[in-house]
Amino acid sequence: MTSIADRARGIASGRRERWLAPLLIVLGVLYPWYEDTLQSLPVIGDFVPSTESMVVMVAFTMMALGLNIVVGYAGLLDLGYVAFYAVGAYTAGWFASQQFDQITFHFLSSVPNTQPGIHVTMWLVLIAAGLLTLLAGIIIGLPTLRLRGDYLAIVTLGFGEIVPQVVNNGDDIGGFDLTHGTFGIAPIDSVGFPVLSFTGLPDNFQTSPDRAMWFYIVALGLLLITVFCTVRLRDSRLGRAWIAIREDETAAAAMGVPLMRTKTWSYALGAFFGGVAGAYYASFKGGAFPADFYFNISVFLLCMVILGGMGSVWGVLAGGMILAYLNIEGLSTIGSKIQDAGLNFDPTKYQFGIYGIIIVSMMLLRPAGLIPERRHRIEMEEGVHDTPFYDVEHEGTLTDRDLSGD
Amino acid sequence: MAEADNLLVAAKVRKEFGGLVATDNVDFTIPRGAIVSLIGPNGAGKTTFFNQLTGVYKPTSGSILFDGTEVSFLPPHSITKLGIGRTFQNIRLFSQMTALENVLVGMHSRMHAGILGAIVRPPKVKREEAASRDKARELLTYCGLPRRHEERSASLPYGDQRRLEVARALATDPKLLLLDEPTAGMNPQETAEFTSFVGKVRDEKNVTVLLIEHDMKVVMGVSERITVLEYGAKIAEGTPAEIRSNERVIEAYLGKGATE
Amino acid sequence: MGTTATSVLRTLRSPKVVNGLGFAFVAVIVLWLAVNFVKDPTYFANVGLDGLTRGTIYGVVALGYTLVYGILQLINFAHGDVFALSGLVASTIMLSVLNISPSSSNAAVAGAVVVTLLITVPLFAVANGTIERVAYRPLRNAPRLAPLITAVGMSFIVFNISLALYGVDYESGSELIPQGTALSIGDIRITWKLVIALAIIVPTLTALSWFVSSTRQGKAMRAVAQDTEASAMMGIDVNRTISVTFFLAGSLAAVAGLVFFLEYQVRFDSGFQLGLIAFTAAVLGGIGNLTGAVLGALLIGFIQSFSEGLTWYGPGSAWTRSIVFAILIATLVFRPEGLLGERTPEGA
Repeated sequence: MTSIADRARGIASGRRERWLAPLLIVLGVLYPWYEDTLQSLPVIGDFVPSTESMVVMVAFTMMALGLNIVVGYAGLLDLGYVAFYAVGAYTAGWFASQQFDQITFHFLSSVPNTQPGIHVTMWLVLIAAGLLTLLAGIIIGLPTLRLRGDYLAIVTLGFGEIVPQVVNNGDDIGGFDLTHGTFGIAPIDSVGFPVLSFTGLPDNFQTSPDRAMWFYIVALGLLLITVFCTVRLRDSRLGRAWIAIREDETAAAAMGVPLMRTKTWSYALGAFFGGVAGAYYASFKGGAFPADFYFNISVFLLCMVILGGMGSVWGVLAGGMILAYLNIEGLSTIGSKIQDAGLNFDPTKYQFGIYGIIIVSMMLLRPAGLIPERRHRIEMEEGVHDTPFYDVEHEGTLTDRDLSGD
Repeated sequence: MAEADNLLVAAKVRKEFGGLVATDNVDFTIPRGAIVSLIGPNGAGKTTFFNQLTGVYKPTSGSILFDGTEVSFLPPHSITKLGIGRTFQNIRLFSQMTALENVLVGMHSRMHAGILGAIVRPPKVKREEAASRDKARELLTYCGLPRRHEERSASLPYGDQRRLEVARALATDPKLLLLDEPTAGMNPQETAEFTSFVGKVRDEKNVTVLLIEHDMKVVMGVSERITVLEYGAKIAEGTPAEIRSNERVIEAYLGKGATE
Repeated sequence: MGTTATSVLRTLRSPKVVNGLGFAFVAVIVLWLAVNFVKDPTYFANVGLDGLTRGTIYGVVALGYTLVYGILQLINFAHGDVFALSGLVASTIMLSVLNISPSSSNAAVAGAVVVTLLITVPLFAVANGTIERVAYRPLRNAPRLAPLITAVGMSFIVFNISLALYGVDYESGSELIPQGTALSIGDIRITWKLVIALAIIVPTLTALSWFVSSTRQGKAMRAVAQDTEASAMMGIDVNRTISVTFFLAGSLAAVAGLVFFLEYQVRFDSGFQLGLIAFTAAVLGGIGNLTGAVLGALLIGFIQSFSEGLTWYGPGSAWTRSIVFAILIATLVFRPEGLLGERTPEGA
């Protein structure tokens, strides 16, 4: 009979009990119903997140899982993931709002037929967002994935900056209003079941009395699909190729793994989930605004992956939910508790420092993450053969060409 | 007399790194089904030449024809797909993957499952995975690793790691197998085993073998033809008996005084 | 999808095409500059001088990036934030501690600048060295991804320190220095900003150049940058050399921070934008190459000023970040060794 300590160690080291996943799914789905009970508990009740917050947490965790494909599986440091979130959100803005009021096109939408603009049902828009973002990932990836790791990081950071700037200034592209500039695109249609409204399901979540609950349940569903896909990918021919590339590019290429194509696919798939999550979140918020997309989000997502464990699905789920919770509710709740206790300290102002400390501490102390993926734990501690294959070497550095003498 | 059926024809291959000439207009052919070796003192450019055959380096000039196809400008994975498999001088296994997974990566170019296949896992993909795993285990056993398939490759003993490298190279289903100093670090018994293994692989798996080796017992024992490089240029080529008594070769290894 | 796309890319990346496209692009830019120049030559010159001013500051920051990259192959993301913090600290020293105000005499301001530098330069040299010691050194042998990620985390920590200490306000010393034109050549105005920037930065660069070329420590730095293992075998204390490099970078950040505070305005997030611009400059010039860093910085300074200032089809300041990033991406993709670097093949 295993003790609790053994069980806990077992979970942390990789042997997940078979009952854990179904249990968590059930607990997750039923959350809106016992949320109030939890919140009325003494002491910890205030820390229990609202269903609304849970929607945001799930959306960001989904993005983190997407990033995990790029950083965790293929080992590519992507510092510009926010660009994918933005593309997803704006896709929703294009196909499910009044942005393009030059046309009136409706397709299974929950919005009244008289409204101008393109209004496709959000379910299809989610898929379109994923695919468009996937395409963006391929476009960005093809020229840049050739670069070595640190350059790739900077270049992805660059794209992560360019996309929001384009979005911010996109209200006048040769006279055409693509992104409505700083005002963003709002309102964005809601997710709903307009076709199935005869069954009693709401045709428009935003107008439904149980708005948060519905958004949350569907978000959870999307998250589960993401988890399913990433696990399947990890345990496939492609997943093995990613890990081989991560460990030793040259050997991987020698074994027949096409480097560029494989890396691009990791990028594209990571982008796909980011796009879907971005579109869904935009629908929940009711808009896509340039102010929502900035570099720190990319690092925030990276922090989730590192905290949880690069390449580890359980880890990223945990890291994602924890950090997203802190961001949306946790820190301010802690802050008000501290204020109640008399201290004038506002942890929300130290958010970024906290994420920075988490990243640095994890890298120094437990680089494989809270719940490590089996292989990564060993890799991070013992090191790998990671000279990049395509490498323009610089002839020395600080050469005497720089300065006269010697 | 019929023209020899050459699997590989390298003509005037030249590689320059800045001012350094690493490969000096080398002509090199490998007859199909043969076991040939490439030897030479340290720094002769053997691995550099190997790397050009496998696409790690692009030759500065010259051509490399593999089974009729020009490969000198192709990326490594394409060359592997065409049928050249290799091992590395310093073992480059995927150390955190199991032995089985290493071999499965070797099969990457012979498998077809893509993204949708990975996610949906239709019966075709499941069959491919199962068949690949079976074939991988067979290969591992064939190469002298009947057990420990699920063990992390970094924790295998040195000799087993070398065998695993060969198994992984064979998993690419090669026509030409390049072995880069495969017996380095092996004791005499392992070396002897390996020498007979090379012949077995050539006969049973229908591959042509090119060997880089320093251990003369292996070279003389297994090669049908030996090519000698010095300073990137070919200085001799012939049967083991011919090479053994070639003055130029002895000079290259032992210095000018040796033949006087 | 894969093979056709990659072969298309391969043709696109071939030297002929790249050089051709490069020439065409440069030709367009030159044409644009020429038209703007012809339309208003003095305005053009003044915009150019403004670019020079910025460029010198960027150069100092870019040197910090390139020094560290040259020796560790690490992009020290935190460098920009150290720069910003140093500017803020300089502001405190000058405004609150030394009580300099717009009404102070020029001599007082100059003296205060010297005193401030005497404090901030060692302070941030040590701070930068500490960051290396604590966060990067333990990861010297870890997979390359690790110190890079840590640098990002470190950047956030320093960023938040600035935010916590100074809030969201800008600190600007531009009222402390003489305003306007120091010298006019016709309508071309050489501003005090430019003079002061040069007065502080040129000696700094000279000192740095002397240090790297003539001192033993400087030679050690160059040796370690070229071949760490061989240097260690020659008896060079690699750890100490790396520490010295970080001290230098921190000092440079402090100098740049002070100048930036005096001439423009500093805030907790100044490090991010300026850091990326400076890093682009370092890459453009050839990462690891000191002259290249300064050259690249001047170029970027000009590009930014022209792009923001020129009126005939000028993109304006809204597009600056994108333009700079586009330059970065283009450089890394098409000419990763930068302007002064040398493209070597796959390595012997």
